[in-house]
Amino acid sequence: MTQLKSGCAVACGTIAPVLMASLLSTSALAEPPVDLSKWSPEYVRSIAGTEEFDTAEACGKVTPLDYKGRLTFWYQGVFEGDPDLLRQYYKDFFESFRKTYPNIQLEEQALTYNDLLDKFRTALIGNAAPMAVRLQILGGTEFASKGYLEPLKPEDVGWSTEDFWPGAMKAVTWDGVGYGIPTNNETMALIWNADIFKRAGLDPDKAPATWDDVVTYSKQIHDKLGVAGYGLVARKNAGNTPYRFMPQLWGYGGGVFDEADPSPNYGEIRLNSEASKRALQASYDMYVRDKSVPVSALTNQQADNQPLFLAGQLGMMISHPSDYNVMLDLQKKAAGADKEKAQTVIDNMRYGLVPTGPDGKRAVVFGGSNIHILKPEYVDGGKVDEPAAKAIICFWTSPEWSLKMAYAGSNPGNLNGFKTKWMKERLDNIKFLDVTTSMLPYGIPFPALPQAPEIMNIIIPDMMQNALTGAMTVDQAADDAAKKVKELMGGGL
Amino acid sequence: MLPSYIAHQDRGLPTMTIVTGEASQVRQPRTTRLDLLRQTWSSRADYLYVLPAIVVMLVVIAYPIYYTVELSLFKTPPGLQLKDKSFIGLNNYTTILMSNVFWRVTLNTVIWTLASTIIAFVLGFALALALHREFFGRGMLRAIFIIPWVISAVAASYIWKWIYHSDFGIIGVVLVQLGLVDRPPNFIDSVSTVLASLIVVNIWREFPFAMIMMMAGLQTVPEQLLRAAQVDGASAWQRFWHVTFPHLRGVSTVTVLLLAVANFNSFIIPWIMTGGGPSNASHIWITHIYELAFGRQRWGVASAYSVLLFVILMTLGYFYVRALSQGDQREPGA
Repeated sequence: MTQLKSGCAVACGTIAPVLMASLLSTSALAEPPVDLSKWSPEYVRSIAGTEEFDTAEACGKVTPLDYKGRLTFWYQGVFEGDPDLLRQYYKDFFESFRKTYPNIQLEEQALTYNDLLDKFRTALIGNAAPMAVRLQILGGTEFASKGYLEPLKPEDVGWSTEDFWPGAMKAVTWDGVGYGIPTNNETMALIWNADIFKRAGLDPDKAPATWDDVVTYSKQIHDKLGVAGYGLVARKNAGNTPYRFMPQLWGYGGGVFDEADPSPNYGEIRLNSEASKRALQASYDMYVRDKSVPVSALTNQQADNQPLFLAGQLGMMISHPSDYNVMLDLQKKAAGADKEKAQTVIDNMRYGLVPTGPDGKRAVVFGGSNIHILKPEYVDGGKVDEPAAKAIICFWTSPEWSLKMAYAGSNPGNLNGFKTKWMKERLDNIKFLDVTTSMLPYGIPFPALPQAPEIMNIIIPDMMQNALTGAMTVDQAADDAAKKVKELMGGGL
Repeated sequence: MLPSYIAHQDRGLPTMTIVTGEASQVRQPRTTRLDLLRQTWSSRADYLYVLPAIVVMLVVIAYPIYYTVELSLFKTPPGLQLKDKSFIGLNNYTTILMSNVFWRVTLNTVIWTLASTIIAFVLGFALALALHREFFGRGMLRAIFIIPWVISAVAASYIWKWIYHSDFGIIGVVLVQLGLVDRPPNFIDSVSTVLASLIVVNIWREFPFAMIMMMAGLQTVPEQLLRAAQVDGASAWQRFWHVTFPHLRGVSTVTVLLLAVANFNSFIIPWIMTGGGPSNASHIWITHIYELAFGRQRWGVASAYSVLLFVILMTLGYFYVRALSQGDQREPGA
């Protein structure tokens, strides 16, 4: 029988009120449907399944269900690192939408996280964009600032601004105007293999408390067992890299700017601050000094770490709760002794809060995705079917579907999703969900700047690669990255 | 005295030249520009037949070239739409030429192109020579050697990425199990080995092309010349150097030029396997241009890079066409 433990870190997880400030810092937060000040795994359990929502009825008020139209729609879809469960929910979503709106001719196209921005930018230049798009949280500001997106707020599709996390609303706001609606919000956690911990002489049910502990644990695991301790990821042009390095950077007290402060203004570049350098030094220590992380970290993404973890070759990694389902999917595909070995790893999977920095600061990327409507002049054919676009946006951001589309991995963008019967079901079915809900208040959004994608996808990974390959010292790499950010903010080449 | 097989060849060349010269005198009487215009006008209806093709070429080839050249003269800040670009003349070109990255990427590109082209050609040629002889299993070997060329470059890149994997790649595992190394070698996660590792993959992909081209060329070498050389006592090396190789000069030139152009433009292998990393150590021009344009939205600078690349490739293309037309001219005397 599979024995699952979420670890003391979660069971004992309490939310520091001061950290709530970063997510509550908006005047728009009048009366949210859930009480964010009480946020805890227990509170989430207490509200789950307390309300019924009828998606068709709600969206029918925005766009009549018999509306006849045509919609082109691109979205960040599932990819190789996602569980099969999520694939099924995506399939169900489009089937359900077509059933609810039988007269809307929907032409949807799924793109992976790493391809979507490139393709979308290219389409915009050729005025060949889709009418609506669901983008990663990192992309919204860039396109809003350039004037590609139509103003769009939750009220336009039948919801209220207070139905969404204030931190998520920041990512869809540019110059005080909203240009999109959050579909889901994600915060990752630390996953470890208790069996590896035990064999390495570590407490199997205790997560490393600090990032310095991660460095120490990683070395101990590697030295004793010969397997990689921590699943470092430093590939360029891959969303996985900033999602795993930024919590470390913020934990040490650093940042690209002041984005980890309660009221950031992005005025000061802190990438080469002493705190930021300490964070980079921690990665250097693991990769170069201790050689305790995969050598392939520079070309790998999280999807490459998953099979290593399942094979018992990796001690710890940062990821979603969905990795548990991914492990189950991968285990089904294994055979013979590999299958048993994989089951042992799954039995020994533990989830805990992301470690803190030396000063006790815990942080995680407040990630997710947002959905937007394009201006007609940038759309293929020059027309946007707004009622059709609003219909799908209402559908996706509804309590029901924002929950279901985030079922295994993250959290619903619409806070009412936490009250649905599907949330209750999910709490029973998806292990380690408490960890990700516990991490939400520690979430820090990426800087809401048009330059954020280049900073996160290119400059940060470049900085890591420069330090980890020895092309530059840690100090030089941090200074070089800070210089690049400065040049970028000044207009670039 | 020259061996007879060389004399045959030498006697052949003047004959060919005379024939070609006479033929050109007959085919190309001196025409004035006016005559040419008259001739064009009189056959104007014929041009209607090729007009659709010309229009398509103008749209899909000429316009993108023109637009790229135009864009290379503009600053395109990443925070603005492309339509908000501002004219800066040749600044993008000076920016490129003065940047350290340019010289590093150029050096990578030169190493990548030269090493891939030369080694793939030499390997392909050697195999073509080996497979030109009759022996048991020749057909099967030919088919096996062609496999890397027919595999999708994308699939091949992923396969090699796992073969090279710095922790669990099969090469590393085998070397460790044989006791040759303590840790798996770092192929693609090290700045000092990544380019060479990618070049090996590229050669593996391309040598079958060179092999096929050279095998086709070998079919055209006159058997009687080789036999004559053998009768005259020429060694295998002498037969190769004085008979076979001169006949393959044309196809060799074409093969090398085609490989060079393909390598200069090669994108899939470096992009999929390393994305130009680590630390830009495997960036070549084409991957750098892609990153500048689509990752960093520096359309102006990326266009300037593209124009420079276009000039280089056009130069190679000129030599390619010249090699082809020289081959055509030699044909009658061959």
